[in-house]
Amino acid sequence: MKLVSNVLQDISGIQIYYIVGLLIFVVLFVYIFIRTYFLTPRAELTSIKESIFEDDELNSNE
Amino acid sequence: MELQKFNYDNKIVKQFIWATIIWGVVGILVGLIAAIQLAFPSWNFGIEFTSFGRMRPLHTNAIVFAFVGNSIFAGVYYSLQKLLKARMYSDVLSKINFWGWQLVIVLAAVTLLSGITTSKEYAELEWPIDILIAIVWIVYGWNMIGTMIKRREKHIYAAIWWYVATFIGVAVLHVVNSFELPVSLFKSYSVYAGAQDAVVQWWYGHNAVAFFLTTPFLGLMYYYLPKAAGRPIYSYRLSIIHFWALIFLYMWAGPHHLLYQALPDWAQALGVTFSVMLIAPSWGGMINGLLTLRGAWDKVRDSAALKFMVVAVTAYGMATFEGPMMSLKNVNAISHFTDWTIAHVHIAGMGWNGGLTFGMLYWLVPKLFRTKLFSEKLANTHFWVATLGMLIYAIPLYWAAITQWLMWREYTPEGFLTYPNFLETLTQILPMYVFRIVGGTLFLIGFLLMVFNLVKTMAAGNFIANDPAEAPALDKSASRSATGETIHRWLERKPVRFAIWAFIALAIGGAAEIIPIVFIKSNIPTIEAVTPYTPLELEGRDTYVSEGCYTCHSQMVRPFRWETDRYGEYSKIGEFVYDHPFQWGSRRIGPDLARTGVVGGQMYKTAAWHYNHFMDPQKMNEQSIMPPYPWFAEKDMDFDLMPAKIRAMQTLGVPYPDGYDQEAVADMKAQAKEISEQLKASGIEISPDKQMIGMIAYLHKLGRDISSNANSNEAKKEVEKVEISLTNSPDEIAAGKEIFTATGCTACHGINGEGNAIGPSFQDAEWTNGGTPSDVFDVIKNGRAAKGMTPYGNQLSEEKIKQVTSFILNEINKK
Repeated sequence: MKLVSNVLQDISGIQIYYIVGLLIFVVLFVYIFIRTYFLTPRAELTSIKESIFEDDELNSNE
Repeated sequence: MELQKFNYDNKIVKQFIWATIIWGVVGILVGLIAAIQLAFPSWNFGIEFTSFGRMRPLHTNAIVFAFVGNSIFAGVYYSLQKLLKARMYSDVLSKINFWGWQLVIVLAAVTLLSGITTSKEYAELEWPIDILIAIVWIVYGWNMIGTMIKRREKHIYAAIWWYVATFIGVAVLHVVNSFELPVSLFKSYSVYAGAQDAVVQWWYGHNAVAFFLTTPFLGLMYYYLPKAAGRPIYSYRLSIIHFWALIFLYMWAGPHHLLYQALPDWAQALGVTFSVMLIAPSWGGMINGLLTLRGAWDKVRDSAALKFMVVAVTAYGMATFEGPMMSLKNVNAISHFTDWTIAHVHIAGMGWNGGLTFGMLYWLVPKLFRTKLFSEKLANTHFWVATLGMLIYAIPLYWAAITQWLMWREYTPEGFLTYPNFLETLTQILPMYVFRIVGGTLFLIGFLLMVFNLVKTMAAGNFIANDPAEAPALDKSASRSATGETIHRWLERKPVRFAIWAFIALAIGGAAEIIPIVFIKSNIPTIEAVTPYTPLELEGRDTYVSEGCYTCHSQMVRPFRWETDRYGEYSKIGEFVYDHPFQWGSRRIGPDLARTGVVGGQMYKTAAWHYNHFMDPQKMNEQSIMPPYPWFAEKDMDFDLMPAKIRAMQTLGVPYPDGYDQEAVADMKAQAKEISEQLKASGIEISPDKQMIGMIAYLHKLGRDISSNANSNEAKKEVEKVEISLTNSPDEIAAGKEIFTATGCTACHGINGEGNAIGPSFQDAEWTNGGTPSDVFDVIKNGRAAKGMTPYGNQLSEEKIKQVTSFILNEINKK
């Protein structure tokens, strides 16, 4: 891991890596959120949710 | 499409259910005994195998790996087959998983009670068992992923994502944290040292919570809660969002166990930030669980299974809010080392893990045995008893935590600690420890009701080991673009690719925090004065590790005035560079020990004091709950292994001179002889070969290297004595007597000042440092470092020291 030690020799300024990492997380989170909530058909999700039930298990009181 | 016939393997599920039940009784019972030991130390029985330091890790391992572990396997093996419409990939792998896991548990029980331990929390098991765990875990993953590949159901349901994340997360955590260098079959040293070991250990420790106690249970929740309620999960979209967010964020949270400790600030800040962010995906899981019951709350009224699941999800929500709050530095400053952490852990453990396990079993066992539950009434009784037990357990511990932290940090108007004697804070919270016993007993009673109920259900039912089923073969769809799937939908039918992305998501946090700590030297500023442990000190340290002293004692003075006033200088990261493993501790049932080697310091005690204290702590301090360690005077140290230990340390980078392994035993014996002779001078006869000698050497090392030389210089300086006139006031003398007792003077000078092996008598006319009021006042205020007399000048005001002086001279000495 000499490569790592050499590259990260000086600890000062390391916070930039974490800030960038957080930003990547936030961007990805927003992207996945939008795609999941607005672009996925509801009917498909309902069928997946109900797929775990046998015929008589699902409560008819929806 | 043609239907394929196959059989579900119910036998393996039944086996794991039995293991869950049996180990659950064992784990809770051991916990109950540990709780009794804390309130009533006679329950340590004076034998090494039942002392608290060994019982506590047995309890944690039995609950986490034996009880919870088997319940995870039971729940996963049943639901995975049903969700994938396939029998487990390999019956042989299933058997190896089951029997291998039970073997791990049995070995854990035997080794932990024998004192064979690494002392790393929830990773106490030594290296041969670590290897066995890795093998069994690989077998489990192989079986699970094999089943996913040969499945008949195209889509991989949300529960299984959590199972996959669990498998990968635990594998990564276990392997990285278990890097240890064996010295013998029963002993190894952590490859990491000090702060590095602390970061890796608590990255592991917190994520054992994440990937063993949370993710598999979220998976179980996604299957068993909808099945029990007859309602589909509330939001599949929410399950996607909170899954990826949770497995990514959790791995960063580890440093919240190390706040205000000897860790770089940037690491602490990351731990806090990500812990607070974790509230969102955790509550995503809670919301998804609770809202699944929309339209089905009437069923909760009559179903014990659903009641337990509701409490489980609620406890999960509570604990995942409380945890982030405890991760805030200002909260952590007061809650760390107190019973708040214990209360938090048990709300989560009893409520979330226990509750969901009970709910799952109450639904699954009747299903598996094709019958109704033997008694719904008994199950509901279990529910109320368990819930009450949980509350009676936790609430007194919150009270105890607040009591302790307030007492630790309270100052008199003159600026001295109001409760300088640690024991005063402990005696106040002992009644709360009795409540803990009541809570734990109720929880055990409830568990036994469940055992009876389930056994009767099984006896009345009709169990089919190989349950016939049929389903069409897997429809291997075309690539993603042709079917117009979303990315996630496509990923959900690609188990290996899904697993790879899950690995990437969860690996980032650990890498980001551990790599800089381990590989960048500037993160760990060294201290030139800090030297490696001598062979005798190393042996004593190994005894400290073996006896689990860290379960009650910390070695980490935090940079707060109310800690430095009580213990001495705050702990620096460079002090721990040779500590394989670290011993910072996570609880103060007893005082911090980081400065017990600072001669003239508040925590220093002579060899004779330590001898008497280990032999019978209650004789020294009546209210102490510390177990006795009489075997320290009987058991020999292991001289034969020392050369190998030195070589191992050299391999790990500790700068012993070349060839020192050949001289180590001679050095060890020479130092041991010195300590043995010190004890002899105090009237204590003990062979220099005994473990007691090593323990004393180790305790006299702690903090010594960084204590300033001014201590010895000050001892030589002429200290101007204050002219004191005694008081004859009965109130002041009574106050002096109270201080004499409360501060612990009696431990060394006897209850009536008659003296003992440690401290001189006040009843005679012999005064080593002079018997005038000024002389006695001076000794109490400034101490006598060479004799081990603690200086009380920074704990007691001059007025109080005068009261004690008057009590000693006017009452004990009858002048």
